[in-house]
Amino acid sequence: MTFRRRVRTIYGKELVDLLRDRRTLIAMIVVPIFLYPVLMLGSLQAITVQTQALGQRAIIVAGLGGADGPQAESLAHLQHEYDRIRALEPPAPRAENDLAAPTESAPSGGAAADADQTSAAPPLQLSWAPCGSVEEIEQRVRDRSAHVGLVFEEALTLSPDRRNLVRILYDREEPRSATAHARLEDVIARVAARINDERREALRLPPTYFDPFEVTATNLASPSSILGQILPLILVLMTITGAIYPAIDITAGERERGTLETILACPVPVIDLIVGKFLVVTTIAILGAALNLGSVCATVYFGGFNELIATAGQGIPYGQLALILLCLVPFAVLMSAIMMAVCSYARTFKEAQNYVTPVILAVLIPGGFAALPATELRGMMLVVPVGNMVLLTRELLIGAPVGTSELLTVLLSTTLYASAAVAVAAQVFGKESVVFADVESLRSTFDRRLIQPSPRPSLTMALVVTAVLFPAWFFLQSWMQSTRGAEDGIGALRRTFAAMPVMFVAAPALVAAYWKVNLRGAFCLGGASVGAWAGALLLGTSSWIVARELVVLQHNWFGMSDLAADSAAALERLLRDLSSVELVVMLGLIPAVCEEALFRGFLLGAMRSGVRKMTAIAVSAAVFAVFHFILAKLPVTFLLGALLGWVCWTTRSILPGVLIHFLHNSILTLSAAHREWFSFLPQPQEGAQDHLPAVVIVPAIALFTAGCVLIGRSAAKTAGGGAD
Amino acid sequence: MVVADNLVKSFPIAGGQKRAVDGLSFRVARGEIFGLLGPNGAGKTTTLRMLSGMILPTSGSARLAGYDVATQPFEVKRVLGFLTANTGLYLRLTPRELLQYFAELHGMDRPSARRRAEHLVDWLDMREFADIRCGSLSTGQRQRVNIGRVLVADPPVLVMDEPTLGLDVISNRLILDFIRRAGDEGKTILLSTHYLDEAEMLCDRIGFLHHGRLIAEGTLEELQQRTGLSRLSAIFLNLAAEGAESAAPAGAVS
Repeated sequence: MTFRRRVRTIYGKELVDLLRDRRTLIAMIVVPIFLYPVLMLGSLQAITVQTQALGQRAIIVAGLGGADGPQAESLAHLQHEYDRIRALEPPAPRAENDLAAPTESAPSGGAAADADQTSAAPPLQLSWAPCGSVEEIEQRVRDRSAHVGLVFEEALTLSPDRRNLVRILYDREEPRSATAHARLEDVIARVAARINDERREALRLPPTYFDPFEVTATNLASPSSILGQILPLILVLMTITGAIYPAIDITAGERERGTLETILACPVPVIDLIVGKFLVVTTIAILGAALNLGSVCATVYFGGFNELIATAGQGIPYGQLALILLCLVPFAVLMSAIMMAVCSYARTFKEAQNYVTPVILAVLIPGGFAALPATELRGMMLVVPVGNMVLLTRELLIGAPVGTSELLTVLLSTTLYASAAVAVAAQVFGKESVVFADVESLRSTFDRRLIQPSPRPSLTMALVVTAVLFPAWFFLQSWMQSTRGAEDGIGALRRTFAAMPVMFVAAPALVAAYWKVNLRGAFCLGGASVGAWAGALLLGTSSWIVARELVVLQHNWFGMSDLAADSAAALERLLRDLSSVELVVMLGLIPAVCEEALFRGFLLGAMRSGVRKMTAIAVSAAVFAVFHFILAKLPVTFLLGALLGWVCWTTRSILPGVLIHFLHNSILTLSAAHREWFSFLPQPQEGAQDHLPAVVIVPAIALFTAGCVLIGRSAAKTAGGGAD
Repeated sequence: MVVADNLVKSFPIAGGQKRAVDGLSFRVARGEIFGLLGPNGAGKTTTLRMLSGMILPTSGSARLAGYDVATQPFEVKRVLGFLTANTGLYLRLTPRELLQYFAELHGMDRPSARRRAEHLVDWLDMREFADIRCGSLSTGQRQRVNIGRVLVADPPVLVMDEPTLGLDVISNRLILDFIRRAGDEGKTILLSTHYLDEAEMLCDRIGFLHHGRLIAEGTLEELQQRTGLSRLSAIFLNLAAEGAESAAPAGAVS
């Protein structure tokens, strides 16, 4: 029975088993299908009812004196003027779905009754609350027995030679008081505007006489809407929720029901079991996400909420839905793996639920932060797990342009985190102590006294370390760049490379030491043969020419973005200010040692057992390329990573790779900083599109080939020697 | 058919290792029913899990039907049926689906798995409830499904860990009849129990496990002769007292 067939069998059974469970169906189908319509319709109705209620109710105005006193009469005068202009004003076009207009159907009183159906100005109902003093008015507003307080300095008059001073007292924290205040201000503004118009017309002045300016402000910010802000977070949370129940059911639930031992007694490798189960959890999480997305779109579309929910008349970009769902796939994989890893430690369903709660809280922090309107998909947020997915989904949902670089960074970083999480899930599930739910299962993973020494890091350890280092390194780089303005660029560059040994070597070394991994094995620090060293020397002196030619080819075929060209030019300017020794140490030696230690030693070394050679080299090269954060350099960095990976795999040591990397970086850097030393290279004015002369390329390719042959032969000797 | 040779299983604990099984050696011949007896914590379950290829021995070796449990766990699992009283069923699957699933996991293609499931449904008289989800079945019906699951690949070796623990009388009888019938059919059975009357009734040979060590082994008659006692419970208590005097407990931290 093949791996694929076994996984298919397990997958099929688990899917049927889960889909027959009422709880899965409720979480996956019932909740999304009913949640959104109920949420949207319900909340909109609640808002409408509330605003209508506010509009319908008379505004209780606290003022000095009784209902027949001068202050009350002034207010009546104001209302009379308002009702007069309501009767004169033309009707406003009734907006479709304008559910928020509070007083469209509000009953009106007095002279306004006839104007209700015609006027753009909403009707006004007032009720007088007599007070003896201003303090009493304040007290009545505070104790909410009146909505607002109103004090006319003198009796209201519309004579052109006097200005009416009016004081409004209100409580901004009290919605009714705030609404009443807004209404009164609106009433006064409308009356004032009408009187202005009448006076201007009487004097036969043009409309521009009082209004020398007409300002039109256009908001160019991305359209921000309830849909754009809240929906991505809900989608992401529902994807997580979709993974929770199946993850618990097929790990802790299976253990609690006593079926785990049964399945482990079958001739099925644990890894097949994990893959089958993991795929089911991911499927259900994705199905949940798709149903949520579908349900919300259907609610918006059929409910006619498009204009109300998305601002500026923008609706959901239905064409983007497939892309949104595609982006949610690596995220669903990540969350499914995390949930499975966490739940695998639990012995019962209830225990698993307890373990899941802190994970959800941890997810809510970056997710909630990303949902804030001011948070943007750039800088550090590109690599913050969960947060980057919330932001990406938001940008896609509101139809904002998302650059390829941003899209790839989010997807690749999420894929990296997902790979680490899957490895953790596989390791956790495969542990004897976890499978049989020993009390010590959690301790045996983290308690150093229970950890057994090992010659090299596990794949899980390597992937988790890499996945943690990736955002940390990204943050550091962004921070260094952001401080460049305050200090000089060289200072930032120096600090970046000073941080490299700490992050790329010390951090994994500490982790390896804690989990009792032999440090020599952890970083593949074994010796290499003379042939391997000679091959490395040849490769190091020639690879930079090959890499340069590849970059030229890439630029010629695909062009070079202005941004990439500017960054390259800025870096070159910086390099010219550094001494040659500093250049070689900072950009040659430090990256060579640190990157080889992390990517080839720690990561590739961990893949030696259990991962095929080509896959392992490709994975380590891809991670190496992604860590460089420059899209334009991705192909060449990947190829260089693949070359160095092959050298390390073949020689079983990172040391020849360190030499290649050191020579490659040093020569390239020096060639950029000291063009006079490399006069045979085309000058920058001629453009980076120029190939080197054949007299340089041909020997370089010959050296490169000879280097590869020497390295390859050293492998044959190592294999012949029987060393592993 | 089953050979354990100086089998050791240690679990890491704070400050050292705890030996759950300590140098266990025994043999079970083809067609024999061998009872592994011992109190709770004696190491019976750990031994059976090692012999079933579910966990790796720390040292020593064991072979089942000629396959090494450490290096050939899948071959071992192919030739054994594993049953415990705690063994659960997938409650949302029907007996027919469940049997077919396990048959497929044992390497049968879908049509063969379907045929095997049908055969077992008939043979164990499950037709009446073969299409009802396991969650709605009685305990006795569930035990019948469990027996079907054990026999799905018609294994020559059966490993049973406390198969009657906590079962009601009817289910208990069902399992005991099954063991007897399997023994009559020539299957090799490794049975762990602390119900001594069951062992007395079913087993050809008995091994006493105490603190991870085999303190005595033989037929009932041999054990009676050695101790001069007739009842198995008395023999066990006598041997356990002897074992406690002669050996340090294997559960000690090393």
